[in-house]
Amino acid sequence: MEKQTEITDELKDVSPTLASMEKVNVFQIPEDYFSDFDAKILTTIFLQDKKNNFQKVPEGYFNSLSDNILSKIKSENSETPSEEIKAISPALHYLKEEKVFDVPENYFDNLSDRILKKIKPPKTKVISFSSRKWWRYAAAAVVTGVVAISSLQIFNHNSNPVTTDKAIMQLASQYKTPAQIDKGIASLNDEEIVNYLEKNGTILDEETISKNVDTTALPSEDDYLLDENTLNNYLNEINAEANQKTQ
Amino acid sequence: MTENLNDLELLALYKDPATKERGFTAIIKKYQEKLYWHIRRMVITHEDADDVLQNMFIKVWKALENFREESQLYTWLYRIATNESLTFLSQQKKRNSISLSDDENGLSNKLKSDTNFDANKLEWKLQLAIQSLPEKQRLVFNLRYYDEMPYEEMSHVLETSEGALKASYHHAAKKIENYILNN
Repeated sequence: MEKQTEITDELKDVSPTLASMEKVNVFQIPEDYFSDFDAKILTTIFLQDKKNNFQKVPEGYFNSLSDNILSKIKSENSETPSEEIKAISPALHYLKEEKVFDVPENYFDNLSDRILKKIKPPKTKVISFSSRKWWRYAAAAVVTGVVAISSLQIFNHNSNPVTTDKAIMQLASQYKTPAQIDKGIASLNDEEIVNYLEKNGTILDEETISKNVDTTALPSEDDYLLDENTLNNYLNEINAEANQKTQ
Repeated sequence: MTENLNDLELLALYKDPATKERGFTAIIKKYQEKLYWHIRRMVITHEDADDVLQNMFIKVWKALENFREESQLYTWLYRIATNESLTFLSQQKKRNSISLSDDENGLSNKLKSDTNFDANKLEWKLQLAIQSLPEKQRLVFNLRYYDEMPYEEMSHVLETSEGALKASYHHAAKKIENYILNN
């Protein structure tokens, strides 16, 4: 304390202004500079001691170098994907858990069944008899029998009836083969077929049908009940015959 | 019953005519969700993903007969799912060949039309960023980021060297980060 007073007094003598000023340190040092300062010094000393030894390669170093590098590469590869993305981009790491896409409820529950059904479509089996289906087949059968001899107007989707010969010929040229007729029928919906049959019921008289369809060859009613493909099979047979005739 | 079987046991079930369907069903059940998400992230909409997934399993049904057991079922399935997704995308590209932009499949638009889409949400920005990547990088990124697939397995799926995959992933992640920060 005495010494301090001496020094202050000394300054007061030399420069009263300076002595009256507060002492402020304007220089900054890195934070924690001193906290590991001792370790830094010790490391420097250690390194200086060892300096000469660094020039020498440990015995067998190059023999095992390739193995060491390989094992390092392997350990890098064993870095988990989540550690890896955290290192590349922490933001992406945290975003990962956010769900964005929805899946319909129970989608996965019966997926394997749906796939198996596609692989192995069910073979012949007794089916519940839906009247709508029955009507569809019946209408298709009648139309197939009649269409070849009828005016083909059923395929004319325009509300204006086809009247000129030229237009009829044009329409007819689109439906020359059984396949084209099938396609034409397939393009119609139930309502169109019903409307057509209702409007043009007169051409579906018994005589016309019996002339053009061999009813004795039709499958029996039981066949339809037992196998939903009965009518398809029958129609295919007719088509095959028709094809043979045209060839 | 079949839930805890390993792939070899499942394949054995499939190879026996008596248990073929049971084995196949078990294979579907084991991998359906992983493969679904892999496909979904590539094609974006559920409907497209469902199509691709079903078609791929229908092909698998036949192809499994020639499956050689030295390769892993898991990576083999991923490879088929990947190829099917890419085929699907290229078919779509052909159909929409009028607009040949960077995002030729309109995948960004598909994302934006998702009912949950929210351009302000980071997770949706991430999805847009992923769609901005080239196809191959997108695959690598998805397989690593979401499926957490080891590079060694990924090299079998994508038939690319591990080093190239790793580089590709790092590029992709950086590009995505930049995209998110700048959009």
